Amino acid sequence: MFRCTLVVCGRGVAKRFASSFPGESALPPNLLLPTNLVDPARLRRPPPPADCSLPLLRKCDAVVPAHLSPVQTWVETLARPDSEPLGLAQLHPDVFAVHPRLDILHEVETWQRNYKRISHASTKIRSEVRGGGRKPWKQKGSGRARHGSIRSPLWKGGGVANGPRGPTSYFYMLPMKVRVQGLKVALSSKMAQQYLHIVDSLNIPSPDPQYLLDLIRHKHWGESLLIVDVGEEFPENILQATAGLKTVNIIPAIGLNVHSMLKHEAVVLTLETIKFLEDKLLWHDQRYTPLYPFKLPYSDFP
Amino acid sequence: MFLRCFNDNTVPALCIVGHRLGIETENMAVLGGLLKAGASFCQSAATLLHTARTISTGTCCQIRMHAIPQLKKVDRWTEKRSMYGVYDNIGILGDFKAHPKDLIVAPCWLKAFKGNELQRLIRKKKMVGDRMMTLDKHNLEKRIRFLYRRFNRTGKHR
Repeated sequence: MFRCTLVVCGRGVAKRFASSFPGESALPPNLLLPTNLVDPARLRRPPPPADCSLPLLRKCDAVVPAHLSPVQTWVETLARPDSEPLGLAQLHPDVFAVHPRLDILHEVETWQRNYKRISHASTKIRSEVRGGGRKPWKQKGSGRARHGSIRSPLWKGGGVANGPRGPTSYFYMLPMKVRVQGLKVALSSKMAQQYLHIVDSLNIPSPDPQYLLDLIRHKHWGESLLIVDVGEEFPENILQATAGLKTVNIIPAIGLNVHSMLKHEAVVLTLETIKFLEDKLLWHDQRYTPLYPFKLPYSDFP
Repeated sequence: MFLRCFNDNTVPALCIVGHRLGIETENMAVLGGLLKAGASFCQSAATLLHTARTISTGTCCQIRMHAIPQLKKVDRWTEKRSMYGVYDNIGILGDFKAHPKDLIVAPCWLKAFKGNELQRLIRKKKMVGDRMMTLDKHNLEKRIRFLYRRFNRTGKHR
């Protein structure tokens, strides 16, 4: 998917350059740019130093193992496009600093694509095609090849011998801990590549989509943005602003998944979302194996 | 009139032109055959000019193209594509009140089920068989009978 857009972008770039004066340094038309090109103007804001004067707005609720230290990041605001970060936040390393397991990411992404897939491709076999019960001509004497029905797969209009049969499903479930680890790896990768941004709340001054686009372009967050918030209610302004935009999308925290995180270049989480995610994802590290499905009541969960 | 005697110089040139255009269809086989025919009977006697047959080593392709077709323009940010996969972790993140298998849009006998053709058909008969049309039901039963015998009585695995 990204390769296609890349080829199209490359061709667009090449077309623009090919139309210029050929004496200048024009890019060759068959130039293929790599997919992981990052906007060089993207501000590589260094992680907050240890002696920063900004207040620590959030500490980790869960116990951090002794051999790990919490990840520190900036907390920004959406209210003004050109504002400095409000403060710092500490994130749990077992959620936001796990090892970048690309194989788990691949597994979870393939699972997301395939478990819902129903292929409706279907063909009729020779017994289902209308007609073809009678032997077309007698076995011997006519001089033609011997046939038993006019709907055998050899005939035009006949049935398909080994074709797709009816709606097929490709359902399977990955183990719960693999899916949880996939979420953790995706969040850690976004954090490590500085595509994860933390915001105190989603209040913006105007419901204009252009405000969001200007904010993103000013802060150099990327081309596409995924906004995640806990709760069923969102501020009206941000709902209206994202409704008009294709590449900026807002989802509740329950809807977070690896495919959306990989599709959108930057991810914005609020402080409540981080608490929610840490709470949900860290529980699986220390839970007992289920004796019966979790949807049935347990005395100590949730 | 089509099978004119090519000069020895033009035969390789035409081959090169054909390759440069990059038209990798079955026309190449026909073209190659024609060129070979042209070259071969050039060297033979001129009386055989109008009696050579066209050789075709591949099927004749009905689609004709003049140039490389343009890529189809796909919008990667439609509503469906940008919201794909949302709520897939509704179990883990949502207190296990729902399961991702509840999100699957499928015929009722295929929701959260995977099996080979025989298993799918048996499940369909069990769940939906009494609501099916008579012809479809008859075909279903015939197919189940055939597949049962095929899987359990023939071949290596029984």
